[in-house]
Amino acid sequence: MFTHITLVARWCLLLLLCIPVLAGLVGVIFPALGYFPAIGANAFSTQVFATLFDLPDIWQMMWLSLFTGVGSTLLAVIAAFCILATFYQSSLLGKIQGVLSPFLVFPHAAAAISLLFVVSPSGIFAATTTRLNAYFSHAFTTPFVNEISEMALPAANDGTLLYDGLGLSILIALSLKELPFILLMTLSVMSQPLVKKKLTGYVKVGTALGYSPTASFFKLVLPTIFSQIKLPLLAVLVFATSNVEIPLILGPNNPSTLAVAIMHWFNHIDLSMRLLASSAAVVQVAVSAVAVVLFLGIERLVAYTGKCSLSGGNRYFADTALRACGFTVMAVYIILICTVVYTVVVYSFAKQWHFPLLLPEGLTLLHWNTATSALTTPLINTLLLGVLVSTTSLVLVLFTLESEQLKPARAVAENAFSVSLFLPLLVPGVAFLYGLVWFQQLVFQNAVWFHTYVAHMVYVVPYVFLSMAVAYRKFDNRYAMVAQSLGKTPWQVFYHVKLPSLFSAIMVAWALGLAISFSQYLPTLLASGGTLPTVTTEAVASVSGSSTRLTAVYVIIQAVMPLIGFMIAWYMPAVATRRRSKQMLVSDTHSNRSADPVQ
Amino acid sequence: MPRNSALVSTKAACLRRFGKFSRLIKGLALASAVFSSQLITASHSFAVPFDIASVDGSIVDVSGNKIQSQPQSPTRASTVLKRTSAQSPKDDTQSKPLVRFHAWGGSAQVNGYLHWVAAQVSQRFNIELQHVKLADTSDAVSRVLAEKAAGNHDNGSVDLIWINGENFAAMKKHNLLAKDWVKELDHFALTRPEKNSAMVTDFGEPTLGMEAPWGKASMVFYYRSAHMKALGTAPGQTINELLRFSQKAPGRFTYPVPSDYLGISFIKYAAIALNGDKQSLFYLPVTESSLQAVLPALWAYLDQLHPTMWQQGEYMLRQASQLQRLVGTGELTLAFSFTAAEIPSAVNRFDLPDDVRTYAMQDGSLANVHFVGLTYNSKNKTAAKTVVNFLLSPEAQAEKQKLTVWGDDTVLDMASLTQAQAMLFKDESVHKSALDKSQSAVLLAEPHASWTDKLREAWYERYGARY
Repeated sequence: MFTHITLVARWCLLLLLCIPVLAGLVGVIFPALGYFPAIGANAFSTQVFATLFDLPDIWQMMWLSLFTGVGSTLLAVIAAFCILATFYQSSLLGKIQGVLSPFLVFPHAAAAISLLFVVSPSGIFAATTTRLNAYFSHAFTTPFVNEISEMALPAANDGTLLYDGLGLSILIALSLKELPFILLMTLSVMSQPLVKKKLTGYVKVGTALGYSPTASFFKLVLPTIFSQIKLPLLAVLVFATSNVEIPLILGPNNPSTLAVAIMHWFNHIDLSMRLLASSAAVVQVAVSAVAVVLFLGIERLVAYTGKCSLSGGNRYFADTALRACGFTVMAVYIILICTVVYTVVVYSFAKQWHFPLLLPEGLTLLHWNTATSALTTPLINTLLLGVLVSTTSLVLVLFTLESEQLKPARAVAENAFSVSLFLPLLVPGVAFLYGLVWFQQLVFQNAVWFHTYVAHMVYVVPYVFLSMAVAYRKFDNRYAMVAQSLGKTPWQVFYHVKLPSLFSAIMVAWALGLAISFSQYLPTLLASGGTLPTVTTEAVASVSGSSTRLTAVYVIIQAVMPLIGFMIAWYMPAVATRRRSKQMLVSDTHSNRSADPVQ
Repeated sequence: MPRNSALVSTKAACLRRFGKFSRLIKGLALASAVFSSQLITASHSFAVPFDIASVDGSIVDVSGNKIQSQPQSPTRASTVLKRTSAQSPKDDTQSKPLVRFHAWGGSAQVNGYLHWVAAQVSQRFNIELQHVKLADTSDAVSRVLAEKAAGNHDNGSVDLIWINGENFAAMKKHNLLAKDWVKELDHFALTRPEKNSAMVTDFGEPTLGMEAPWGKASMVFYYRSAHMKALGTAPGQTINELLRFSQKAPGRFTYPVPSDYLGISFIKYAAIALNGDKQSLFYLPVTESSLQAVLPALWAYLDQLHPTMWQQGEYMLRQASQLQRLVGTGELTLAFSFTAAEIPSAVNRFDLPDDVRTYAMQDGSLANVHFVGLTYNSKNKTAAKTVVNFLLSPEAQAEKQKLTVWGDDTVLDMASLTQAQAMLFKDESVHKSALDKSQSAVLLAEPHASWTDKLREAWYERYGARY
C-alpha cells in the first residue's frame, strides 16, 4: 500500500517537473515559428528568426551571455577547487562552510543590489580610497587630518567596475554568487560515507607516496568526485548564461545580455514583439546548449592534459600559487561580506550620509517603519507561499526517494529520472516561463496562487531533491533491513526508523526549499502577473526606485528570512533529540517497574 | 507472522489487524485533511476580510453629510454611492469589493498617499483598494492586452491604472479602457472640463471620458549646491547652458532611456527648446517632413552632450527614479524630475542631501496632466468609479497636494470650490529644497502624442537600442 503511494509520488514528481517545462517550451516554440493566433499570425514561417538576426546587436548579446555564463562558471569552479585544495584537510573547513553558507541563501537580486552599493563610485571602497588619498596628500602639510577639508566628489566615469561593456561586472558578480554553491555541493558529495572512505584511503596513499595535499586533491580526489558534481555544475552554467537579475542591475546597457532583452521584448506593449521575444528565447536555449557543450569540451581537454600529468610523477602541483589563490579568495569573500553587511545595515538606519564619510550624520528608524508598513502583505505572501511549496515538495521528495529504495527502477528509467530532475535547471527560466504563463492564461485564469505555486515547485523540487538525496544515501540501510526483518511494514520503517534519524537533514532541506522559494523573482512576477507581491519582487521594484535606504531595508529583510528558516532547521533537531532522550529515559524507568506481558 | 498467531489466538489477531487498520485510517484522514486544506488555500486568492461589511445606513449617512456641502447635483452622487453600498454585500465571495489600482510604485510618497487612500476608501465605502506597484506602466498595459488576446473580457486583473501620454494612446488604440464613464463622477465637474481643456486632452489626444484627471506635473531641474561650489560652476538655466555645464564637469548629468517617461520628456523638451522657431510643428500630428525639420538641431546637441554624460552615454538609466538615487549618493550633480514636490519630500526622508536646490528652466518647462483609467474588463467597475470619485474629492486632492504627503498639484479648479473646501488647500510649509513657486515659469504644453513614438524611434535608431 505504502509502496504504491510512493510510486504515485514518484510519477507526480516527474510530471510536476516535466510538464510545466515542456508546456513552456511549446508555448515559446510556436510563436517563434510565427504561429500566434491571438495577433493573427496563423502560418508557420522562419521570418521571425530572420528579423531577429537582422538586429544589429544580436550577436553581441549572444556573445555577452555566453562569455559571462561560461566565464563566471569556470572562474567559480577554479576558485572553489583552489579553496578546497587549500582547506580540505584543515580544521578551518567548518568555519569556511559557516562563512559561505549565508551567501548561498542570499537571493540573487539582493546580492546584486548589495554589490552595487558597495562597488559603486560612492560606495565604501571608493570612500576609503579617497580618504587615504587625501590623507597621504596632506601628510606633509597637516599630519593630523580629521576631516576632508574640501568637498570630495565620487568619481564620475573612470575606475568604475559597473556597467562595463565587456560584461566583467556580470562575470564577477555571478562567480561570487555561484562559488559558495559549488563549494558546498562538492563538500556534501565528498562527505558521503562511502565516498569519504574511498577518498580518505586515496589521500593516505598519496601522502604516503610524498604528494602534497594540493596535488593529492587535484590528482586523486577531483577525478573521483567530478562525475557526481557535473550535473549540478551544468545547472549552474545554464543559470549563469540565462540569468536576468544580475545583468539587469549590474550589467551594461548597450547592449545587455540576451536574457534581459528577452524580458524587455516580452513586456513590450506591442504584442507582435512577442514573436521576436519567443524566437530570442529559442536562441537563448541554443546559447545555453552551446555553453554546455563548450564546458564539456573544456572538461574533456582538462581530463586529457590531466591524465598526462597524473603519471608525470611531479609531487607538487603549483602549490604556492593555488594556496595563495585559495587564501585570497577567502579573504575577498570575508572582506566583501563585512563591507556589504556594514553598508546595507548602516544605510537602512542612515540619515544624511555624504560621500567620503564612513559614518552617516545620524540614525533614524524612519526607513524601517516605512518598509514594515509597506511589506506586511508581501511578507505574508512570501511566508505562506514558501511554507506551502517547501512542505509539499519535501513530502513528494521523501516519498520519491523511498520509492527508489522500495522499488528500484530500471537503469533507463533511472537515467531519464535524473535528467528530468534537472530539466527545470537546464532549460533557461526566461525561455519557458513566458510560455508557461501563456498556458496558464488558457487554463484556470483566476487561480493566481495555484499558478505561482506550480512555478515555484518547478524550481524548488530539484534543490530539495538534491539535498535530501545526499542525506538519504548517507543513511545506513541496514537499520531498515533490521526493522523489516523484525516484521515492520515499509510505512512503519519509513515513519519510525528513517524519518527520525533523517530529521536534521529533512529540516535543512525544508529550510533550503524555503530559501529558494523566497528568492524567486521572475517566476513569481510572471505567474501571478504582478498581483502577488513578495519580498523579492518588492525589493527589485525598489531598486529601480529612488531610495537607497529603503532598498537597503528590503535587502536586509530578504537576507534575514532564509537565515531564520535555517536557524529553525538547525535548532529543531536539537530540541527533538532532547525531547526524545527524555522520553526514552522516562519509558526506561517505566519498563523497569512494570512487567506487562507483550501483547 | 500474523497468520501463525491467528491460529494461536484469533481474538488477538483480529485486534492486531484492526489496530493496523485504524492507524491507516487515521493516517489517511490526516493526509487528506492536510492536502485538501493546502489545495483550498492554493486555489483562492489570498484576501482575508478583516472588517465585517458595514451597514447600508451608515454609508448613506456619511455620504449624505458630504452631499449637502456640494453645489452639484446630490442625486447623482448618492445613486453612485447607493449602488456601491447595495452591490457590495452581493459582490463575490468576499465581503468587500476589491479594486486593484496598478500604479508606478517607485516613489515612497505616492505609495504612502495611496496607502492613505486605501484606508479612507475602506472606511468610507467599504471597498478594498489594492495598490499594485509597477516598475513600468507598460507592464500593466501589456497585461490587459494579453487578457484581451486570451478572451478574458470581464474578469481582468487590472481595474484602475495610472496612465497618461503614450500608454493612454496605446490603450485607446486597442480599446482597453471603459468608455465615457468619467462624466458620471460627481467630483469631475469640479475640474471645470469645459474651461480647462487639459482635463479632457491627453498629449493632444481627446480622452473621450476614458480616463479621469488626477494631478498636474511640470518638469523641474535640481542640483547639489555643494557640488556646484566644489566644481566652480552653476547649473544651466537654458538647454545650451546645460551642455556647457556638462562639458565643464563631465559625468555629472544624464537622462534616462527614451522608453522611460522622463527620458522622452527630456528629448521633447530639448527638441522644442532647440527649435525655437519651429515650435508650432510640435502641436500638429507628426509627419515625415516636420520630423526631418526638427531632428538636425536635436542630433547636433545630443551628439555633443552624450560624450560628456555619466558613463559617456553608453549606459543609460532604465528608470527615472534612479536619477534621484544617483544624486542622493553623489554620483550625479544635476538631474530633473516631473514632480517638484518629490524633491523636498525626498530630502525629508534623507534620500536626497539637504543641499539640493530646485529650479525651472528659463526656456520652458514641459507640463501635463496625469490620469487614472478604468479597464474595459474590470470586474468591479462601480467600486472602481467610487474610488476615482474619492480621488477627485477636495479632501483627497488637498491631502495629495500637501508637501509632506506627495505635493502633486491638484486638478480641481479653485474657482469651483466652496470656502471650506478651498481652506483645505492652504499649505504653510516652506522648504529650502522646494521649487520657488513665486517665480513665474514658462510652461510648454506637451506636443501631440504622435511625436513621442517618432522621436523615440529616431533616437533608438541613431544611438542604439538599450535593453
